[in-house]
Amino acid sequence: MSKLTFSIGGIHPHDNKISCDCKIEALPLPSTVYVSMAQHLGAPAKPIVAAGDAVKVGQVIAEPGGFISAFVHSPVSGVVKAIAPRKDLAGNMVPHIEITVDGDEWAEGIDTTDTLITEIPEDKALILEKIKSCGVVGLGGATFPTHVKLNPAPGKVAECLILNGAECEPFLTSDYRIMVERPKEIVIGAAIMQKVLGCRCVIGIEENKPLAIELIRKAIAELGYANMTVAVLKKRYPQGGEKQLINAVLKREVASGCLPIDAGAVVQNVATSLAVYEAVQKNKPLVTNTMTITGDCLPVEKNHNYLFRIGTPLSFIIEQAGGIPEEAAKLISGGPMMGKAISNIDATTVKGSSSVLYLSEAATKRKAESACIRCGRCSDACPMGLEPFLLNRLHKAADLEGLEQNAVQDCIECGCCLYSCPANIPLLDNIRIAKGQVLGVIRARAAAAKAAAEAAK
Amino acid sequence: MTKTIILTIVTLTALGLLLALVLYWVAKKFRVEEDPRIDEVEKALPGANCGGCGFAGCRAFADAAVKAENLDKQFCPVGGNDVMKNIASILGLEIKEKAPQVAVVRCNGTCEARPRINTYDGVQSCRVKASLYSGDTGCSFGCLGCGDCVAACQFGAIAMNPLTGLPVVDDSKCTACGACVKACPKNVIELRNKGPRSMRIFVSCINKDKGAVARKACSNACIGCSKCAKVCPHGAITVENNLAYIDFTKCKLCKKCVAECPTGAIHAVNFPVLPPKPAAKPAAPAAPVAKPEAPATKPAETEVKKEANNE
Repeated sequence: MSKLTFSIGGIHPHDNKISCDCKIEALPLPSTVYVSMAQHLGAPAKPIVAAGDAVKVGQVIAEPGGFISAFVHSPVSGVVKAIAPRKDLAGNMVPHIEITVDGDEWAEGIDTTDTLITEIPEDKALILEKIKSCGVVGLGGATFPTHVKLNPAPGKVAECLILNGAECEPFLTSDYRIMVERPKEIVIGAAIMQKVLGCRCVIGIEENKPLAIELIRKAIAELGYANMTVAVLKKRYPQGGEKQLINAVLKREVASGCLPIDAGAVVQNVATSLAVYEAVQKNKPLVTNTMTITGDCLPVEKNHNYLFRIGTPLSFIIEQAGGIPEEAAKLISGGPMMGKAISNIDATTVKGSSSVLYLSEAATKRKAESACIRCGRCSDACPMGLEPFLLNRLHKAADLEGLEQNAVQDCIECGCCLYSCPANIPLLDNIRIAKGQVLGVIRARAAAAKAAAEAAK
Repeated sequence: MTKTIILTIVTLTALGLLLALVLYWVAKKFRVEEDPRIDEVEKALPGANCGGCGFAGCRAFADAAVKAENLDKQFCPVGGNDVMKNIASILGLEIKEKAPQVAVVRCNGTCEARPRINTYDGVQSCRVKASLYSGDTGCSFGCLGCGDCVAACQFGAIAMNPLTGLPVVDDSKCTACGACVKACPKNVIELRNKGPRSMRIFVSCINKDKGAVARKACSNACIGCSKCAKVCPHGAITVENNLAYIDFTKCKLCKKCVAECPTGAIHAVNFPVLPPKPAAKPAAPAAPVAKPEAPATKPAETEVKKEANNE
């Protein structure tokens, strides 16, 4: 089978998978964890414990705050010390539950053994309920609650479940390591989601991970799943973008303003699949995740892939991994393309945390901006078919109508335009602002239309 | 040869006359009837087209003013009461006078008081910076220092002070059009009444963190101790979310709060600098006359005066 990829745009950054041979190590428990109430997309969760309560690992400590929201569980056993606002990665105040760790006692009914359970429950509602009650969210980055995504709106049918094992961001290796170390669990997780959706499943993996491709294929063959295949993808960024992956695997396009389900696809990350397996087969809530510690200025032996308890402070993880290297100019949470700079290492880890990246000054320093020379490289690189140079000009002219006509709201903020610009124009920074403004206008218009419709009644 | 020249002149003259007649007829026939007062009002306006009134420009303001039944909802911040009186007389309406206002920067997180805890090397735009994170200091509320307000000001009334890293408003040039207020993603800038002889008192901080946190991030921060609220005889000060706010419509410029504030977060500006005791007297009577208070931000001068007052 020829290798697949998406049809327009994209770039080829060096993949720098330095930590790909580092086995996943379980990180020791910190003395205190801070569990954020806003670690998923949608409404923040509402705490249901109070200061002084004793909690066990996996016990529910916060309930969903709305339809699109998720349960939050205690990642450790100990005593709730306080519920107070704390600064997150970006320095914004978010309510956190502070728990002092005392031992490691798991709540009842959770299977913490490594035994593989291959029998999948028959009842779809039961599966969805378990995924919901275990607080599973998409671990590919957006942290969208998984039970909502697996339950398409009436009239919409999923034809294909795509499992995202592309891991196209340079440096990151946590998805690769779980595919290599726990392929069977991932495949069973996919089969569970397949059962809920009643469709076929394709697992997309980039060609630079031959071992993962082999092991996942072997796992599928051993478990005898007929309706599941592995698609080998060409190495290209942003292959792991939802719409790009659908285009690569199904050769379909998701229209502007539509969701993947409108193209008959549901995309889930491999880490989410593992979380689904643990939730449904083992009753184990989402309290751990895998994280890569790497960077271009970190000696190879200091690279790690850690299994960490969600809520462990970043400063603790950094300390365990040997501290911040001297040459590091910037710390990034997430990949180098879409990750966020860490301005506050006291911040805590959340469900979607996937890495701590140490980058040197040479790799991160912004070069001086010069004039646009109309070379069109940004347009060639944009995987959404937008014209970043035009959007940048419209933003400077504050032309919101023009921005909307040129579909700024479709920008996925992948950073390809900025990466490819020879004039070092901060295209993405400006487009992100413009996108926010246009989305605001669109939302206001929708709200006004809704109000008008209600008034007409 | 001569014939050709004469023919050319005659033809072009005839053509010109014919087209002039056509244009004259078209101008008469399709003339748009417009209230002549719109032109008059537009002329009376300052012509800055700044949008501070909420309309798309001076012409749009004039158009709306002529159609409106009264001028209660319209105000030209640049022209102020004088221009509004002119307009009212053109239209035969009455106006309520508004106290002149000025933009005030409510952050005193200077480079010394508010040390940087990380380095920002992205786009030099407050909006971009604010969309990425809370800023390069420990304070997540204060001025980001990239100067979006300076770029927004059409009157050259705001400039960045390179020593403090904060914007400074020139009272004499500020027209209170509000462009800087809209440009600031952190809502640091507020329009406040200018006050008698530009004297005004305001809290130069918008940090809502708890006292200890705010103090740690910035030594000039309001720590929400409520001392000012207790000492204020006019009930002008409210403390909410660990932050004091002075209502400029109630403040009588007594300056008791200024002396009480433990962090120097309350600024009194443009008060006369006079030798120790007699100074207070002239200022006191001035206060009750008008509604006072307003914030202002006069930069270097302000600070000098403040220090003098504190002494």
